[in-house]
Amino acid sequence: MAKVSDIVLWDKPGERVLLLGNQAIARGALEANIAVYAAYPGTPSSELTDTMAIVSKKAGVYMEYSTNEKVAFETALAAAWSGLRAMTAMKHVGLNVAADTFMSAVGMGVEGGFVIMVADDPSMWSSQNEQDTRVYAKFANVPVLEPISPHEAKEMTKYAFELSEKFKHFVILRTTTRTSHARGDVVLGELPEEIKQGKRKFGKFKKDSSRFVDVPSNARKFHPQILEKIEKIREELNNCPFNWIEGKEDAKIGIIAPGLSYAYVKEALAWLGIEDVKILKLGTPFPVPYGLLEKFFEGLERVLIVEELEPVVEEQVKTWAFDKKLNIEIKGKELVPRIYEMTTRRAVTAIAKFLGLETPINFEELDEKYEKVKPLLPPRPPSLCPACPHRNSFYAIKKATGGKAIYPSDIGCYTLGLLPPLKTVDTTVAMGASIGIAHGLSIAQNGSLSEEQQGPEKQVVVATIGDSTFYHTGLPALANAIYNRSNVLIVVLDNLVTAMTGDQPNPSTGETPHGMGKRIPIEDVAKAMGADFVAVVDPYDIKATYETVKKAIEVEGVSVIVSRQVCALHRIGQMRRRGEKWPIYYVNEDKCTGCRICINAYGCPAIYWDEEKRQARVEPTMCWGCGGCAQVCPFGAFEPMKEGEQ
Amino acid sequence: MKEYNIVITGVGGQGVLTAANILGWAALHAGYKVRLGEVHGMSQRFGSVISYVRFGEDVYGSMVPEGKADVMLSFEPVEALRYVNYLKEGGMIVVNTKPIVPVQVSMGMASYPSLEEIRKVFEKDFKAKWIGFNAEELAEQAGHVVTTNTVLIGALTQIPEFPLDAEHVREVIKISVPPKAVDINMKAFDLGIKAAKEILEL
Ligand code: SF4
Ligand code: SF4
Repeated sequence: MAKVSDIVLWDKPGERVLLLGNQAIARGALEANIAVYAAYPGTPSSELTDTMAIVSKKAGVYMEYSTNEKVAFETALAAAWSGLRAMTAMKHVGLNVAADTFMSAVGMGVEGGFVIMVADDPSMWSSQNEQDTRVYAKFANVPVLEPISPHEAKEMTKYAFELSEKFKHFVILRTTTRTSHARGDVVLGELPEEIKQGKRKFGKFKKDSSRFVDVPSNARKFHPQILEKIEKIREELNNCPFNWIEGKEDAKIGIIAPGLSYAYVKEALAWLGIEDVKILKLGTPFPVPYGLLEKFFEGLERVLIVEELEPVVEEQVKTWAFDKKLNIEIKGKELVPRIYEMTTRRAVTAIAKFLGLETPINFEELDEKYEKVKPLLPPRPPSLCPACPHRNSFYAIKKATGGKAIYPSDIGCYTLGLLPPLKTVDTTVAMGASIGIAHGLSIAQNGSLSEEQQGPEKQVVVATIGDSTFYHTGLPALANAIYNRSNVLIVVLDNLVTAMTGDQPNPSTGETPHGMGKRIPIEDVAKAMGADFVAVVDPYDIKATYETVKKAIEVEGVSVIVSRQVCALHRIGQMRRRGEKWPIYYVNEDKCTGCRICINAYGCPAIYWDEEKRQARVEPTMCWGCGGCAQVCPFGAFEPMKEGEQ
Repeated sequence: MKEYNIVITGVGGQGVLTAANILGWAALHAGYKVRLGEVHGMSQRFGSVISYVRFGEDVYGSMVPEGKADVMLSFEPVEALRYVNYLKEGGMIVVNTKPIVPVQVSMGMASYPSLEEIRKVFEKDFKAKWIGFNAEELAEQAGHVVTTNTVLIGALTQIPEFPLDAEHVREVIKISVPPKAVDINMKAFDLGIKAAKEILEL
């Protein structure tokens, strides 16, 4: 098992390796001779960016972690305007952030190939909503390619650059969690000389204000041009190597399988033992190439479209068939669910129903059996790590506000503060929204300090937001709150990395993959913006954090507390690599009274309840030695083990 | 062989992904088509996790459908139970019997079933063969708890008709762990093999 960074840069065409979908896309971009890559991390897209971060220097590619998706989009777009091959990546909701630039710039087109990788998350394994990027693609009239495996993802990335360059148009490479986070066998291709030698490529921007300035007179020209382009691309995609017809040529039954659904359909058909069908494998769900439909529909009497989420392909096919006056039965969302991700079970069930067959496994019976198991299962939601500094911040905030404040929070691991026992997250909407929501909540209950009339009783509002999120979209919201004079406390949970997506750096970290960024301390920003109270605390000191929060909520206006302590997962990871040890705590049986405060109010996952002795205990393999429990226990029962006792 | 399906379950941070990756590389070296499916992001943090390993001539998707896993490898008993519906009839379960108690249980909001109850569901209701032992203890014997992973994989290679050669798998582990950890991992691997053999011969 060689290191991924080595594999992605291996100059071994033809070698078969095991890669994560996202890593395979990185390799594809390198094989396509990419020059510039910029992105903000977001699950399930992050490993693409992380892989580029690791290999970029050796490959001569400029790579950056941008502060949000819109900025990343603009960075890569400008490079593509300068004639370079450029790429950006984001999760589905990231496209909402970049949407303003995306929708407006699409008419301007590009010079070098420009690929936008968007990773959707059907079933919302790690996301705040379920969103189908293909709808966006259709809205913007941008072609979208969707791979079925890591290997195809790599090949498609290369093709996406070529397609983009040929039509001077944006191209979206859309994955889902199950392609981005699937590992599969990938056959390596050739790397271009420049990548092998690590030679940086530079572009040249040719000024053309009739193209790059979207004043109405120009924008009016763009729209018909976009529509013309997309129809030309639709024609081109008849010959796209990722679209094909397979199966029995004279079959009466047809199945259309866009993107990853193809994999599930193939498996379902094999499982059902059905061979008498024709399949249209569609790597380009938008625009659907009509020429291929024409060929596919020949001789068919019934067609089923097995498509994940929105009926994007279904609507195109049905419209086309209606215009053609085809007398063919076409079924889709009647049999295939419109919510949550596609699975083989769903494909099997839909196909079986369509054909009037039994499923190979009696799923209802299996479900019934499983229903009986469910009551035995204790829930195990993800939780804040042991030694997580956010736990202490939340604990101190809750104590200082007596649980009576409203607590808007944001997107990051700290959203887990929602769970018992902490329960200090009342709202989470979108990146950076906590500050805007906090401002609005305060205005609604208290009014603005710039008004004459105030609310009857001051409602305390304490927002929490992470460092990366603060720089992502928190900044404009902070300026708004300060300017419009609401009465809020904003606690920036600064753990100095973007922890949820895998420890990527950000302006609070200061470092970049190239080592030489410039750190921007959050307290400096808050002061410069004119916050009414600014303080920095170490959440590992619970008492000091508690006292600072107490003080801040008394202040009229916008207070900002930077609660700074490095991410525990990050710190432990680094200590492990260096072979260092950390203190492990245990419960002194003579001192523990069994009050359960450590469990019922603090909730470190390393602390559990010993039913027999009716006392708290620490699971030594899970303790990361922060000493938080020792500060929380009123009886001083937690003590660090002495060296050698471990 | 058309396809072989493994599901690996446990608690985020226990090494579920690493185990899947090791088996995936071993299958790749054995010449099979390989698909692994895994969860990343927030779901990894001490929550319940499942990973899928599929290989053979005919594999497409990265997720094993319910009722189709030939074997389950589990790092934690309740997390085995949570995904019992993935096992095929007559499938096998290799499980570390050392529990990790969720915070919700400590808080008294839920209870943790006994090992006997869990085993009964597997054996009676789902007709599975149960290979359960405290892998963490064996890992400590080998030199460090972090080798729990290796102990379990060692045991997995012993189940009847397992399509990957134990020595193949061992080689992959050897090159995937840090050089100074090779010895204890090899010891852990052997302890896993021994534990499974003993249970299977009973
Ligand atoms: S807070 Fe202290 S005294 Fe109370 S249960 Fe926990 S360890 Fe025991
Ligand atoms: S020191 Fe206490 S609070 Fe910190 S990780 Fe260990 S058990 Fe948890």
